[in-house]
Amino acid sequence: MRKVLLVLLMILVTSLLTLAEVNFVSTQMHPAAERQFMEGDLLANFMKMYDVKVRFLPLTYEQASSRIEAEQRTGKVSVNLFGDLQGGIDLLGSKGFLSDLSDLQFENRTFIETLEKYAYAHGIKQFIPWLQATYVMAVNKKAFEYLPKGLTREDVINGTNKWTYDALLQWAKNIKEKTGQPGLGFPIGPNGLWHRFLHGYLYPSFTGAQAIKFDSVRAIEMWNYLKELFKYVHPGSSVWSALDEPLLRGEVLIAWDHTARLKTAMIEKPNDFVVVPSPAGPMGRGYIIVLVGLSIPKNAPNVDEAVKLIDYLTSPEVQVKILNKVGFFPVVKESSGIIPEGALKILAQGVVNQASTPDSLVSFIPGLGAKGGEFTETYRMAFRRIVLENEDPAKVLKELGERIRKIFKETGAPLPEPDASLF
Amino acid sequence: MIKKVFIVFVSILVIVWFLTPVVLIVLASLTPSEDYYNQNRILPRKLTLDHLYKLFVVLNGWRATLNSLQVAGMAIGLSFLTGLPAGYVLTRYVFPGKNAIRLSILLTRSFPTLIIAVPLIMIYLKLGISDTLFSVALAHTSFILPFVVLITTSILSGISVEYEEAGMIFGLSRFGAFMRITLPLALPGLAASAIFAFIMSWNEVFISSILTFVNRTLPAQILNTAMTSPDYFKFAAGTIMAIPAMTFIFFTRKYLMSMWGISLK
Amino acid sequence: MILLPTIVYLIAFLGYPLIQTFILAFTSESGTFGNFQRLMDTGDFWKALKNTILITGIIVPLQLVLAIALALFVNMRFKGYSLILYIISIPLALSDVSAALMSYNIFAPTGYLNKILLKLGVLDRPLYFFGYMFQNREFWVIVLTEVWRATPLVFVIILAGLQSINKEYLEAADVFGFSNWQKLRKIILPLLKPSIMSALLIRTLFAFQIFGVVWLLAGRDILILAGEAYYWHNNVNDPHMSSAYAIVIASVSLAISWFYISILRSKELEGGQK
Repeated sequence: MRKVLLVLLMILVTSLLTLAEVNFVSTQMHPAAERQFMEGDLLANFMKMYDVKVRFLPLTYEQASSRIEAEQRTGKVSVNLFGDLQGGIDLLGSKGFLSDLSDLQFENRTFIETLEKYAYAHGIKQFIPWLQATYVMAVNKKAFEYLPKGLTREDVINGTNKWTYDALLQWAKNIKEKTGQPGLGFPIGPNGLWHRFLHGYLYPSFTGAQAIKFDSVRAIEMWNYLKELFKYVHPGSSVWSALDEPLLRGEVLIAWDHTARLKTAMIEKPNDFVVVPSPAGPMGRGYIIVLVGLSIPKNAPNVDEAVKLIDYLTSPEVQVKILNKVGFFPVVKESSGIIPEGALKILAQGVVNQASTPDSLVSFIPGLGAKGGEFTETYRMAFRRIVLENEDPAKVLKELGERIRKIFKETGAPLPEPDASLF
Repeated sequence: MIKKVFIVFVSILVIVWFLTPVVLIVLASLTPSEDYYNQNRILPRKLTLDHLYKLFVVLNGWRATLNSLQVAGMAIGLSFLTGLPAGYVLTRYVFPGKNAIRLSILLTRSFPTLIIAVPLIMIYLKLGISDTLFSVALAHTSFILPFVVLITTSILSGISVEYEEAGMIFGLSRFGAFMRITLPLALPGLAASAIFAFIMSWNEVFISSILTFVNRTLPAQILNTAMTSPDYFKFAAGTIMAIPAMTFIFFTRKYLMSMWGISLK
Repeated sequence: MILLPTIVYLIAFLGYPLIQTFILAFTSESGTFGNFQRLMDTGDFWKALKNTILITGIIVPLQLVLAIALALFVNMRFKGYSLILYIISIPLALSDVSAALMSYNIFAPTGYLNKILLKLGVLDRPLYFFGYMFQNREFWVIVLTEVWRATPLVFVIILAGLQSINKEYLEAADVFGFSNWQKLRKIILPLLKPSIMSALLIRTLFAFQIFGVVWLLAGRDILILAGEAYYWHNNVNDPHMSSAYAIVIASVSLAISWFYISILRSKELEGGQK
């Protein structure tokens, strides 16, 4: 009898052992080099250290949310770690799919407060901050030959008060006139992050806020500016979802995009480009800080192992490693301030310069849950109607401004920075 | 003589038209990154297997390929098993609601995958079979079935029922007549269906990405990565995806042309 | 009876999701048809509908004619026909994403076409095929890509149908001294009708759901129905509207299928068994 019990116990133990795995679904780290780094380096080390099996599953946001939603609805949960942008996590959180992480404590690190603040929504702490990034401008050094009067290379690189949107317009105009080609590029394709430029860069720089001044007089001025600027923007922009390839192909000389989507250009041709802060508008230099977080779906199995992985991924040493390899920036104070060697130094320098400009106006992407998509689409719609289809700005803004106000009212979401600070 | 010239001329046209884009994309996938971004180089100085290697070996593309082949095989089997008889019945018999049934079978295919993904996956989760290749094959079959039914219906309706009746006069059962007489005649149509079924299953990416975590199919394993990586990776993924599919078509092409002239008196 | 497995299978695995889609499409804040009302109020829907019909209307007949021509050509069974047959079917092995990439590879400002033309001195600046300002060119590149990619689909079905035409009919026609053209018109084409119909049906259904090629090459410069369904589901996060779009796609597909099948019904050889 004892033998039977022993055998049963062994079976139970081994089955429990084989159950200790983390299914880590992530919408980040998809590109080949980054994925290799995750799987072959970071996660391989983790698995060795803790004897836990981790499956890294790069899924698009649609795939991930479909799977997680199906799991939550049926109660058969196997995804126990989900890494995504704060907005995507917020969407799942708004549907009640995530567990509360407020009780988790990690040793030897302090998370940047502004970032942690954004983890709290819908009554719980939805995620632990993991990575941060921003959007910058990348300039092909050849473009400096066409600088307008009054703007020097140092002005652009350091983001002085001469580096304004008006200066950008002049510069882009020069490039088109002197080279015959429009040299400015934006990711306006359907998977491009153009909407971030609109609500997180242009709007704050011109109106001082992302959303609450949507239909103000200054906004009309902003849109008229954009109409003018657009004459000097490369037409391929409407198809591009990332600007690294167009930069490398020499199709554009000045590009705006997410640091991760410019990275390849820096790595391939480090001597050709510099990364610079975004320009400033009349109300300041608006820019976004992007936040990637790690969350645990409700009723997930093996939560302890998932937490161990979060611990590992947010430890200061690993954070610096990620910065070195991938170009996402740390969220724990203990790693900040370390600038890496190599091509990413260019990116880091640009990011640091942007963050150090005296007229910084930091924007955070608002957490609007299910309405987040409608929010960004409203900005894109304004762009399409005003700039591409030439509708009257005042009319369009009045109509779409209503939608923006409605979205905030319906979701009850708090105003994001910098809007919130205006009150 | 003119006929010969005509044939050669058209053949060359066909070859150039169909092969050029393929050759170009394979070329691009073998181009080292420095050459790829070089504006002045049309052709690369040397070729590299690096990108293909990264996708196929480092990211375990080869294992995923085996999985995809298994899934495609099962999907073909399942859809033929259920679809062939259905096609036969829809052709040979007349009964009320026949057209309605035909229509509704077709209709199931007109809904985009993304829209039906969540309820679809829920079924598999509830059944507890979600993390297996078999479940992927089942899911694929539900997409492929309507087409198999449609193609077999049209092919079978082109084979006169008199052949079967003749066979039955000679003592074959209806089933026997079907197997011995109709099926061989329908071989080209079946080959066409098999090619369809294979291709659809092989390329399907959304459902296979979210249905299994342990055994991933090729698109699930490499497509998300490839599409977010530099251009030459995209082309490399396209090339890897294309090769087994092209191989399959190579072997089935014989069956698209009937090799024997059947005449029954 | 024998039909049961198919029906059961489809109901089991597709029934529930389809019902869910219906439910989503027909529930909204403004009543059962609220989503559809909203759909029709946006100018986007009509543009998407127009574009989808336009693309389908241009591509499908083109492919049919090409496919029949190719099938007849290959059927001449000259030396090496097997290889030609294989080459024609190679695009089948590729997904629509790969095909779109191929076109991009060729037509991009830094693509092969421009590179060659620039080197030859024919152009001094690259020719743009993609971008909001070049919608017409985008459109034709898309048509070209689709024709290249999907003609083999139609070809394969037509060829299979061609093979099942009884040789005796053609031999009899020879005896009566029919010319090739007469054989084509009076015997081959009519007997090919079932294959043509099913090929047209399949191709039209697929063409109506065209997505990958347009999305990759033109983004939302050219609106199409499936693209809008994806956009509402994914970018705007409104599953009601995307389901409504799905229902529209399905309904039009239904109309098309009914149209084709009722034409086919009169030409079909039926066993007449009960």
